[in-house]
Amino acid sequence: MATLVLDNGAYSAKIGFSQETVRVIPNCQFRSKTSRLKTFTANQLDEIKDPSGLFYILPFQKGYLVNWDVQRKVWDHLFGKEMFKVDFADTSVIITEPCFNFSSIQESMNEILFEEYQFQSVLRTNAGSLSAHHFFSSRPSELCCLLVDSGFSFTHIIPYCRSKKMKEGIRRVNVGGKLLTNHLKEIISYRQLHVMDETHVINQVKEDVCYVSQQFFKDMEISQMKGEENTVVRDYVLPDFSSIKKGFCKPREEMVFSGKYKTGEQILRLANERFAVPEMLFHPSDIGIQEMGIPEAIVHSIQSLPEEMHAHFFQNIVLTGGNILFSGFRERLEAELRALAPAHLPVSVLQPPNPICYPWEGGKLLAHSPDYDEIVVTREDFEENGHFICEEKFDI
Amino acid sequence: MVLEKKTSARVEAGQRRVLDEATRQRRLSRQLEALEKDNFQDDPLSSLPPPGPTARLPAFSETEEPEKKRRKTRGDHFKQRFRKNFTTLLEEENLSDRAEPNYLSAEAPPSSLPPRHFCCVCGFPSHYTCTTCGGRYCSSKCLCTHRETRCLKWTL
Ligand SMILES: [Zn+2]
Ligand SMILES: [Zn+2]
Repeated sequence: MATLVLDNGAYSAKIGFSQETVRVIPNCQFRSKTSRLKTFTANQLDEIKDPSGLFYILPFQKGYLVNWDVQRKVWDHLFGKEMFKVDFADTSVIITEPCFNFSSIQESMNEILFEEYQFQSVLRTNAGSLSAHHFFSSRPSELCCLLVDSGFSFTHIIPYCRSKKMKEGIRRVNVGGKLLTNHLKEIISYRQLHVMDETHVINQVKEDVCYVSQQFFKDMEISQMKGEENTVVRDYVLPDFSSIKKGFCKPREEMVFSGKYKTGEQILRLANERFAVPEMLFHPSDIGIQEMGIPEAIVHSIQSLPEEMHAHFFQNIVLTGGNILFSGFRERLEAELRALAPAHLPVSVLQPPNPICYPWEGGKLLAHSPDYDEIVVTREDFEENGHFICEEKFDI
Repeated sequence: MVLEKKTSARVEAGQRRVLDEATRQRRLSRQLEALEKDNFQDDPLSSLPPPGPTARLPAFSETEEPEKKRRKTRGDHFKQRFRKNFTTLLEEENLSDRAEPNYLSAEAPPSSLPPRHFCCVCGFPSHYTCTTCGGRYCSSKCLCTHRETRCLKWTL
């Protein structure tokens, strides 16, 4: 029997059989200005030659699965003959859901996986639990870890003591990649060029030029300077999807500091935007979200847990999710935690080589573990016992 | 010159509308809600002009496919149950009177650090507050831009 591992994120699905490697695929549908009548599903995005003004149809809202029509279209495509060719009767699926997933969504999940698709068996879990499994598999001597999962919809801080999720310590900061991209769109549109319709393009700008500052107010000063002294400012050449397929930063030596470029490309000049946008992860109150930033929320989480565990948590903070890829994220978080944590406790923040696929890789390991068959619910079990058996076995 | 501008701005402030706290809060939550939006433009499908003789021929064959598929899915009964938005689902969970940790209780509490202020025009640290709307600005230049563009926008 095959096991399919699906880390079903609100923006991208991380999917692959446990014997194979992972693929990261958009978990949504798209419509484009150039072929208005067609709806593109998941990786059909690649067929759109001009993704300017790309329209998103997302199955998730605020991190929770609400649009099942869209989700099922994406899954039909992923499980189908063009992609993973799933033989449902002979396949087990490991699928992730957000922390505290609503009970009605959990029931819908059971019905769709067992009754619609008819998987042979199912393991529903949190991405954090797969990450924890990954972590403890590679460091069997550790007792605790604290996962920071910073994704598209929000950031979760989830403490694990061995395989046990410590629910009382979970904290959610309502800042994720979607908010950052929308905020970047908003400030660029106000300051220089209307890009409110260009989520796809500006998301790429964000990934290409934004970073987490190590010295926020110093960088503010630098980015206000004129000419060569301003080492923060970048000129970003926007794609036109004919001669320029992908946007890029002008190399420093080609930057024109005063006057205009003669090359005729469309350029965005980015200075404080580069680090003020990811700063929301550390100071949500900068834009009026009255919540702690990630470092403070981590300390708040650890303090809610038994004191004898504190040292273990501060030493094993593991970063997952797309926002971790902002350069400087880990260093800044470690520095801030060092300042906030009790002085006698060592602080260590670990960034896995692939923070986006770390949970998926944990799922892959779990699929090969000897007691896998005991933690799943089979279709037979579900037909006999219904939702009850899933509530018993799954820890969502 | 800068000084002059400042005095004239102050005089003007006397005549300008001053937004009350409730309006300022509403405006802030509207701005935050906008940051949750999936799209700002219209769906290209809904903004299609009615098909006329000029419509491209291949476009018609493209429509047929999704329609056929839609008829085939047995999901009509899903429509009711499976199409609730986030707010409805959250309300149905009845979380506010639960003792165990849940979605609402997990939200990070407000920061204990002092708030930081940035110019709503240029994004640099700001020291001044617009008397009309409570927005922040860093210089008379940014105040002018702010008044001409956003000061009383989103205030309905
Ligand atoms: Zn300013
Ligand atoms: Zn104002």
